[in-house]
Amino acid sequence: MAKTRSFFAQFRNILAITTGLGLAISAASHAATTDTDSLLQKGEYLAKAADCVACHTAPNGKAFAGGLAITSPMGDILSTNITPDNETGIGHYSEDDFARALQRGIRKDGGHLYPAMPYTAYAGLNKADIHALYLYFMKSVTPVSQKNQPTKLDFPFNIRALMMGWNLLFLNEQPAKTDFEHLSGLERGRYLADTLEHCSSCHSPRNVFMAEKKSGYLGGSPLGGWYAPNITSSPNSGIGHWSEDELVTYFKTGKVTGKARAGGGMAEAVSNSLSHLSDQDLHDLARYIKQVPAINDRYDSRPRDQYSAPPVTTDLRSGETIRVDRPIAMDGAAIYDNNCASCHGGDGNGSPDQHIPSLYNNSVIGSAQANNLVMTILNGVQRKIDGQEVFMPSFGDKSLVQRLSDKDIASLANYVTGRFGRGDAHLKAVDIATIRQGGAKPFLVRYISVLMLTGGLGFLLVLSLIYRFFKKTDRKSAQS
Amino acid sequence: MTSKNDLSADIVIVGSGVAGSSIAKELASTGASVIVLEAGPRIDRQHILDNCRNTVNKNKYDEPYPPSPWSMHPPDQSTPNAYLHTTGPDAQAYQQSYLRILGGTTWHWSACAWRYLPSDFELRSRYGVGRDWALKYDDLEPFYYQAESMMGVCGPDPKVEDLGSPRRQPYPMEALPLSYAAEQFKKLIDNRTAYRVVHEPQARNTRRYDNRPVCEGNNNCMPLCPIGAMYNGIHTVLHAEAAGARFIDNAVVYKIDTDASNKKVTAVHYYDPDKHSHKVTGRIFVIAAHCIESAKLLLLSADEKNPNGIANSSDQVGRNMMDHTGVQVTFMSGLDSLWCGRGPLETNVIDSFRDGSWRNERGAYLVHMVDDNQIDLATALAIDKGYVGKDLENEIRYGASHLVRLFSHNEGMPDPDNRLTLSKTHKDVLGIPHPEVYYKLPDYTVRSCDHSRKVFREIMGLMKGSDPRWTPGYFPQDHPAGSTIMGHDPKDSVVDGYNRTHDHENLFIASSGVFASMGTGNITLTVAALALRVADTLKKEIYHG
Repeated sequence: MAKTRSFFAQFRNILAITTGLGLAISAASHAATTDTDSLLQKGEYLAKAADCVACHTAPNGKAFAGGLAITSPMGDILSTNITPDNETGIGHYSEDDFARALQRGIRKDGGHLYPAMPYTAYAGLNKADIHALYLYFMKSVTPVSQKNQPTKLDFPFNIRALMMGWNLLFLNEQPAKTDFEHLSGLERGRYLADTLEHCSSCHSPRNVFMAEKKSGYLGGSPLGGWYAPNITSSPNSGIGHWSEDELVTYFKTGKVTGKARAGGGMAEAVSNSLSHLSDQDLHDLARYIKQVPAINDRYDSRPRDQYSAPPVTTDLRSGETIRVDRPIAMDGAAIYDNNCASCHGGDGNGSPDQHIPSLYNNSVIGSAQANNLVMTILNGVQRKIDGQEVFMPSFGDKSLVQRLSDKDIASLANYVTGRFGRGDAHLKAVDIATIRQGGAKPFLVRYISVLMLTGGLGFLLVLSLIYRFFKKTDRKSAQS
Repeated sequence: MTSKNDLSADIVIVGSGVAGSSIAKELASTGASVIVLEAGPRIDRQHILDNCRNTVNKNKYDEPYPPSPWSMHPPDQSTPNAYLHTTGPDAQAYQQSYLRILGGTTWHWSACAWRYLPSDFELRSRYGVGRDWALKYDDLEPFYYQAESMMGVCGPDPKVEDLGSPRRQPYPMEALPLSYAAEQFKKLIDNRTAYRVVHEPQARNTRRYDNRPVCEGNNNCMPLCPIGAMYNGIHTVLHAEAAGARFIDNAVVYKIDTDASNKKVTAVHYYDPDKHSHKVTGRIFVIAAHCIESAKLLLLSADEKNPNGIANSSDQVGRNMMDHTGVQVTFMSGLDSLWCGRGPLETNVIDSFRDGSWRNERGAYLVHMVDDNQIDLATALAIDKGYVGKDLENEIRYGASHLVRLFSHNEGMPDPDNRLTLSKTHKDVLGIPHPEVYYKLPDYTVRSCDHSRKVFREIMGLMKGSDPRWTPGYFPQDHPAGSTIMGHDPKDSVVDGYNRTHDHENLFIASSGVFASMGTGNITLTVAALALRVADTLKKEIYHG
């Protein structure tokens, strides 16, 4: 493996020399300024496509100045300043330093990044594309002097050197031979999906080491309380029944009436990245996604957006009021009525123009995973496309509208899935509490203390044995 | 360990409405310790909304808020004298409605967020009637903007539509679009009369604000905005709590103590629902318990040193009770369908009578074309007329699309005879007397109302209106003011220009009680601005004083 890599490294060097030569020649020509301009434009477009801004900008913070806390099962990972500020940003990075961070997950000072930075995906970036990105960050991005906040994870995850072993196992993507400009069709779609947009970072399940499972490619994965759904070509479990145009509309607007709306991380991806791509690129991306091998879940008997309107109910009222200092516990129907119905309608129809979506024919509510429904209730929705904002308030513990308890949210989610989706999700208050805290902890985090008892090398040995075992099972289940 | 019987804070505030909670938020944000005592319970939106949906008479906007026995409030305007007892020739016109619960009366309001006009603060100087305030518009301007930012107020661009109150900044949010009915009404008034219709400034979201949603037009502002798009005092309560303020609900303050010199307030006492008494000491005290309840508490605290009540050496506490007592008519328009009731309740105002040289003899006013759903009334009228079957349905449809409601806010006038006292006959479960108000509409306001009726008739004529239903007599607007009136002279006023009581240097009053004139705009924004100015004074007091 090491040999292969060094071969590629040499190959890259040759490429670099050739490109450098090419650049030197073009620099000599009179079109140099225009060339730089178009390179900067290309870099900007690639940065949008790679959605750098989403993680590297804090709420209400300056673009690319970092400081956003990225929830991970090990704890919050704080994104860094990637503006070209010399002191606090990456102004002192050479292009090689920049490439090493993007593709190997190694900082200029030699420290390892955590894979919250999707360097396993960016490892596939073409050298010329990295050059454009580098130029863009160095010349077009405004330097911001803002010190990085340290990321503080618990032992042993605070030992960044551990990532060396992890990288040995899981950093295996090779740089693309062709640059973005010269890719077309499915190849371009794949490059967009796998390398730039890094779809699989969220949508592929993770193995016991929290690396992406190749066998589950885009098959859906839990993610900090949310669930990034199956987006393979499976008609019932994925997006197999979506047309290419529908996918493009979704990428552009985060909304396909009667099917799905983007919330959580996907709303960010649409707002910051996908909606800025060209139509042609979105079509290439959609075509690529549509041919990803299906992963079927046998419990999905129909697509998650294909649960249609329930029978209309008669709204009868008691005529009685209760004293406000003695509120009675409400059931799911009443909680729905008093928190959701004023916008989504008593019968879940949404608004006539579907600016407020119907709750049936709604992928969030028809999904077997109730996570996204619960997270939407807890966090609301925020999406901004072309200056137009879509907003649903939070009903979580900082809401000014209504703070719902775990029990209330469980009753509400069960009612909503029962009435508008595939049936009562049977959530309990404790499930909501888990989702509120960012979802169930993966195996590695839960059992790390037990694993650590084996100590030192034994620890690594056990991990790799477990990994091999899981890899085999993965293959088996993929084959079956 | 501190027991519940021995509480203390830098700032002790009585009342948790927009005034009390905004002072609490401001002071707690600076690190001061703040205790807010609220007579009523803590409630949440979903339970009130459940009540709303269950009530039969949707127009009774107090009905979803059944009072707790220890924190009674007037049940509604159509059930007089159940808590607030009114007497005098215009007793029925002073049946005010308000809430005693955490967050205060802005749980149900129409979110009209008017600034007063500069002239409203100088009525005596400019027109030779009434009183001047002990502050001027310019003193309050920065706090108006702070209040608008805190509450989230939308309003028209002053360059396009100048509402007469000079602004240094634009409104925090763009104006609410007019509803179809309001647009038609505006066209008619602007084109066919000498008057104009303007966009009303509203504490209501036209974009995401404070992480609350945009108005969805439920037309339910009163009794309750079901989605939190309209500002409620509870939002500021929650912000204040996040900043560290402590709110104690079900705490009915009944007594204020002063020191031996009578210059300083030392403590307040409150009852919990079981009538156990608790004492709260502090450095500075703010009474922010609504115009009526604040005066009631001051009177109730009478002792040997203060035989007329706290802060009442002038004998003005409880006097000068005012309102925007107005007139109201509903009629059937003969023009095209209007379909009132789409969008929020109030979006537009005729502001042509808010100021003028005639204010030396009659009060100013403004007119609301209320944009509320008319199906209830249309149905009652159609049934009254004996329609049945398909005809009944058609008649309801016609009525709902053609009924129009107009009402006016007419300027009150401070008159010491219009007076709040403690009831000698009615007491609540804690033994605290109910409030009682004598009210005779000042002639100044009567003449203003007469003028409004003339204008309403003119509008009805233009709209080929029929079947007018005038509300008998005068219409209370739930904007009580004047009970702790502001002025320079301690002999005839209760507080100075900073809302500080003349009698006690560490006692402030933050409520419409301090208003020295009534103006025409809804009072809440001015209450909030005055409260934020009190907060500003208190910050100076505790950090540099």
